[in-house]
Amino acid sequence: MEYQHDVEINGEDKYQNICKHNGLCKKEKDSKDDTDSNKLSHIEKAYTTILSELGEDVDREGLRRTPLRAAKAMEFFTKGYKETIQDILNDAIFDEDHDEMVIVKDIDLFSLCEHHLVPFFGKAHIAYLPNKKVVGLSKLARIVEIYSRRLQVQERLTKQIASAISEALEPAGVAVVIEAVHMCMVMRGVQKINASTVTSVMLGTFQDNPITRKEFLDLTIRK
Amino acid sequence: MNGHCNVKVNDTVEDFHGNNSFSDLLIDSKKSVVHRKHETSRKKDEDQSRLPAIEAAYTSILRELGEDTDRQGLLRTPQRAAKAMQFLTKGYHETIEDILNNAIFDEDHDEMVIVKNIDVFSLCEHHLVPFFGKVHIGYIPNKKVVGLSKLARIVEIFSRRLQVQERLTKQIAVGISEALQPKGVAVVIEASHMCMVMRGVQKMNSRTVTSTMLGIYLEDPKTREEFLTLSRSV
Repeated sequence: MEYQHDVEINGEDKYQNICKHNGLCKKEKDSKDDTDSNKLSHIEKAYTTILSELGEDVDREGLRRTPLRAAKAMEFFTKGYKETIQDILNDAIFDEDHDEMVIVKDIDLFSLCEHHLVPFFGKAHIAYLPNKKVVGLSKLARIVEIYSRRLQVQERLTKQIASAISEALEPAGVAVVIEAVHMCMVMRGVQKINASTVTSVMLGTFQDNPITRKEFLDLTIRK
Repeated sequence: MNGHCNVKVNDTVEDFHGNNSFSDLLIDSKKSVVHRKHETSRKKDEDQSRLPAIEAAYTSILRELGEDTDRQGLLRTPQRAAKAMQFLTKGYHETIEDILNNAIFDEDHDEMVIVKNIDVFSLCEHHLVPFFGKVHIGYIPNKKVVGLSKLARIVEIFSRRLQVQERLTKQIAVGISEALQPKGVAVVIEASHMCMVMRGVQKMNSRTVTSTMLGIYLEDPKTREEFLTLSRSV
């Protein structure tokens, strides 16, 4: 089964899933498992090529199973492609007569820069103003996981998280701030080890009302 | 005393080479002993010619992961990733002799010299995922001091490779030991491994500390303690 991943600038991403069920039916799961292990062995071969072209000895003890491990690691780092918001929200949306700000901050985040395939990581801070519907708190962190375990650009990642929460909960406002360190500019290139990148998306009341925005920033960013 | 201590350091270096756990570090009189015998030395001009194969491999990886290699953000990613990987493994074509650049000076100094908080970035050879942290190096000169930045450059040579933190620590220590023949060398590395932070057991705050003590640092606990105290202070 092939997944086509097409991410648009407004943060929506589309999947073409052959199976219309909510999850995979068994026959497709079996053939999916075969295809998955096929893909894994292709990725393994690619890593073996990379190692030998870098001048390493692929038969030395430390590297013998590295292509397999690296392939599995890469699959883990991009597992977000196979997850959907509906799956992870798991119906954990509750009716609650609460319309004050809810913040979940300092969510550790790890992603891969889509330009260099090198990690970037940091923290995400999320806030929303419920509109009679609150969500299980860990689900906010799970939404971060779905979108961060992909080849990403920090700007798009921020927007996708905000849009997903917005669509799922229809709140009065959503704010997402990500502060991250990009290994592609720390380990190589310009090599600035203390630089970090901050991106933010403000939707609804957070966008319209500067006082609401300020309250969120005071509660999260200011130490 | 000087000659005695010199012999001690050399003995330890030879012990190190004979030690089973590092048996892949063979003594080859033609190459520096810290380069493994079976390691292909990568020449700089080879890099360019090997790029297309690495690029093709990355394109294949991206496709197999389910990505669309024709979308704008990924169009040149195979080239960038290939070049990044070559940069991150450039230590293979550098040698101690090159970078030391004759920056070894006769100086009547035999007190401890420490260069600490050297940022280190390397790639875990098991998962090809970065690990990074800080290196603290101490040595007691035997009438020969080295340009301070050269210690950091020695770290760069060995860290820009596919590594295991234990081996990296030892290679740095042995590299300095062979170049300077000092009375003692101490190297401590404290690093965070993305392979256990971003995946696997996912322990965010874990750190791995490895150390190598040679010569007087190995034999004299007070010297070792002095180094550890001085390198740890803020």
